[in-house]
Amino acid sequence: MNRLPLFLLALAATVTLSAQPSFEAPPPPTAPVQDAGKRHDEYLKRVQEVLDWRAGRIDITQPEKHLDMAAIAVLLTRGEHYDVCSQRVIELMKDPGTGPFWMFPAVCVAYTGRDKLTPEAQKAIREAWRTTRQLRGDTENHWLMYYASLYLMAELYPNEPAETWYSGKSSAENLAESREYLVHWMDELTTSVGQGEYNPSHYIGEYAIPMLFMATWAKDPEMRIRGKMMLDWLFAELAANTLNGVLRGPNSRTDEGSAIERWNALSSYFSWLLFGNTPTPSGYGGWGVYFAPVAHNYQLPEVIYRIATDRSGDYLQRDRARTRRYWRYSDVLSPPVYKTNYLRRDYAVGSTQGIVNDAIQSHVWDVTWAEPDPRGKHNTMFSLHPHSSPKWMQSQFATYPEAMITAVTFEGKPSYDSPDKILGASPYEKVFQDLDTVIALYDIEPGERFEHINGFFSKDLVNVTEDSSGWIFAQGGRAYLAYRPLAPYHWIPYLHYNGGWAKEKLPLGGKLLVSPHLKNGTIVQAASVDEFADFAAFQAAIKALPLRFALDPVPTVTMQTLRGKQVTFTYGQTPVIDGQPLDYSKWKLFEGPYLNAEVGGRKMTITHGHLKRILDFNTLTITDQVTK
Amino acid sequence: MRIKTLFASLFLAAAAQAAAPVYDFIICANINRNYVIGSKITTLNGVYIRDDAGAWTHHGYNDTGITAVAFDPRDRNVVYTSAMNGLWRSLDGGKTWRMCNSWDMTEGRDVAVDPNAPDHVYLAITDGVAVSTDRAQTLVRKENGLPARGKYTQAIKVDRTQAGRVLAACEIGIYLTEDGANNWRQVLATKETVTDIQQSPHDPAVWLAATQSAGAFISRDSGVTWQNLPGVPSDRALYNITFDVTNPQRFAIGSWAHGVLTSEDGGATWTARNAGLPEGHCVWRVGVDPEGRLYASVVKETLYVSDDFGRTWRRDALEGSLVNSFLLLPRAAQ
Repeated sequence: MNRLPLFLLALAATVTLSAQPSFEAPPPPTAPVQDAGKRHDEYLKRVQEVLDWRAGRIDITQPEKHLDMAAIAVLLTRGEHYDVCSQRVIELMKDPGTGPFWMFPAVCVAYTGRDKLTPEAQKAIREAWRTTRQLRGDTENHWLMYYASLYLMAELYPNEPAETWYSGKSSAENLAESREYLVHWMDELTTSVGQGEYNPSHYIGEYAIPMLFMATWAKDPEMRIRGKMMLDWLFAELAANTLNGVLRGPNSRTDEGSAIERWNALSSYFSWLLFGNTPTPSGYGGWGVYFAPVAHNYQLPEVIYRIATDRSGDYLQRDRARTRRYWRYSDVLSPPVYKTNYLRRDYAVGSTQGIVNDAIQSHVWDVTWAEPDPRGKHNTMFSLHPHSSPKWMQSQFATYPEAMITAVTFEGKPSYDSPDKILGASPYEKVFQDLDTVIALYDIEPGERFEHINGFFSKDLVNVTEDSSGWIFAQGGRAYLAYRPLAPYHWIPYLHYNGGWAKEKLPLGGKLLVSPHLKNGTIVQAASVDEFADFAAFQAAIKALPLRFALDPVPTVTMQTLRGKQVTFTYGQTPVIDGQPLDYSKWKLFEGPYLNAEVGGRKMTITHGHLKRILDFNTLTITDQVTK
Repeated sequence: MRIKTLFASLFLAAAAQAAAPVYDFIICANINRNYVIGSKITTLNGVYIRDDAGAWTHHGYNDTGITAVAFDPRDRNVVYTSAMNGLWRSLDGGKTWRMCNSWDMTEGRDVAVDPNAPDHVYLAITDGVAVSTDRAQTLVRKENGLPARGKYTQAIKVDRTQAGRVLAACEIGIYLTEDGANNWRQVLATKETVTDIQQSPHDPAVWLAATQSAGAFISRDSGVTWQNLPGVPSDRALYNITFDVTNPQRFAIGSWAHGVLTSEDGGATWTARNAGLPEGHCVWRVGVDPEGRLYASVVKETLYVSDDFGRTWRRDALEGSLVNSFLLLPRAAQ
């Protein structure tokens, strides 16, 4: 055999090995699979696809290049190459990582390999948990990963003395501390006052994976059921907030990429895996691979599947969450955040009201439209004040005023201090939403770092029309959109930071509406193309609606919405709808046709049609009901 | 990263030298630039001690988040570090460590041991103060008298003249306890965080404080009343303040915006001492060693040292470091 065919064979093998069928194939159908057995079989097939893809990328003759902890976990799950995995584990454990992003992969390897790795390899894992200090981090997802991992390792190695753990605490102490936090996070926070990191586009993996590990491997049956119930809780919220599997805004934390290409997020991996209604992201979302080795131990309840895949009727979901912890400059540690989500077949509108959730990565509101194939599509519209402030950084981080902005732009959030950024919340933005109308008002303090607002206009909008009425009309997918800037503006090209460590901006298409005025505002209304004879009819309907606004002394809007509501919204004041003030204080933890929970209730009722599941953390019970 | 050496070995070696200075010079340094949770730690971070030859030697754990270190005056093998996880303690000179706090305490900003009640340890955290009376085996919050909000605590110092007398530098001012943190009262109100507080090595009644928005303060009555130091700018944050153990008239301030500020007349007048520091002179911390040399930790640069209290500067070691705290530890107390 000569060299050329060998080369071609190698190339072909590489292409085959790196194939990602569900990433590269046409998008899957969004219609629900009716047969429960078939549905579960398809789920297991998708799990197997992940395992096959990850295994296919491994050249076992080069373990130092190809065997990271994900690869090892996959091989151990598949029952392959135990000796090579063992040797590689011993190597990897000589230089362990230091924090939750190392801890949970290490737990995955420890558990998948506990009856497969050599005693020497298992000893190396155990030794790493003695010698290397693990940093707990400073975010909700860090702590959940940290304590879920420490809990499981303490259970795996019970009755061992303090000097055998990096923490200097015995197995029993580690177990008790971890359990206490995990129960607190479930009972006192998430199921009582909501997550701080609600609807995260990427961090959902950092919650779901540790909870799956807990549900699978915890010896304590209470912690197993807690893990399982939390998975249902997380995925129910994901199901109710996705449009054909694509998570839309608002998001407690996201990034530039996912804020505009809504599909391109780890959340889409879970939608693909669990609901089967959207393509998986490239590489199965990276971290998503760690879900696969034990994914067989979770079965999505049908009621959640139905919520995810049914967009036949419009629905409004109003929920409560909380902010990241405010160490300073706030009267409350984690003030409440109020979420409004309105979903229809062709588009969704979502927003949060309340104080800034996360100083860096929050995405406050948007209209996201459905795309038959969401890959590469910037299917969203929104505006924001590009806020950059040392003081707000200090409110949520133990840092000094000047240091944080410099640091954060090098730490995965490169756009934070850019005037043209499209990510982040501002204390000078107040948002009101009723169904598919959003009013965002801005009263930016003079002297702020950036004294303008940005409106995002996607490359995938068509028929963008600047009307003499002041409205800008456009169409995205099967949604008609009307955007009303309340102050003069100009256009600049949208330039994109492609990834957290990007140093340069890329022209991906699209443009920004830049309005350089301190007192400002945006009104957006949306409708389905089915509701109007044509685009002109939609425009005429919008223009016919009564609208009055003023920017001084503070921005205020009085209008009739496309849905016939009389709305008055003034910056910093309670919105009034049809003469009734909107009382956020009465909002429940979840309230809508699908998800319902009381603040402080520790109980969620998940409903779709005749199906009902109740997750009760008071009694640690799951109750399924079918109503007539 | 494994333990390199023991803290105690250095102290014992130094103590054996007849002409040894009366203080050891210790820093907590983060050398790993741009570390973020999940990334690889590539350098040695944490506690460094300068030996008598002037070299810095790393001791204890490699931890990027160590903010301060304190020792039991009875036994140098008992070491405490405040860090991102909270409070770590070693009873064997840094060979093994224990994370002492429970899950609900985080991001230790400062740690102090009461020299007159050495089992008592005070930890400054992002939402208050935690106290131990058993060498940090257990830690409890003791916040009676601290505000419900506004108790972010950046620094905590124990008055060396009286057991249980502690000053805490908080978001909205300085708080004083005289009964081991059972009760606190505000002795200085500020608009924003008090970033540092220090007791004079010369006169224990004299204290200095730096703030984020109101300049610097001095107290001459053991922290009960405070006077503004008029020559210190208040437009930008001051990161820390220090005494000079060799000269009671010399103080220094570190500031990202103002660089190094010094006073050589007991705080009456202040001078910017940035000539010879890198452009921008973003100073993270200043410290003074036992011989009166002034040190400045310059962001994204290195440690700088001055033999003439800031008039001229030269580069020292620890390239890329951010020094979170300087500590002078009396050797006599060994």
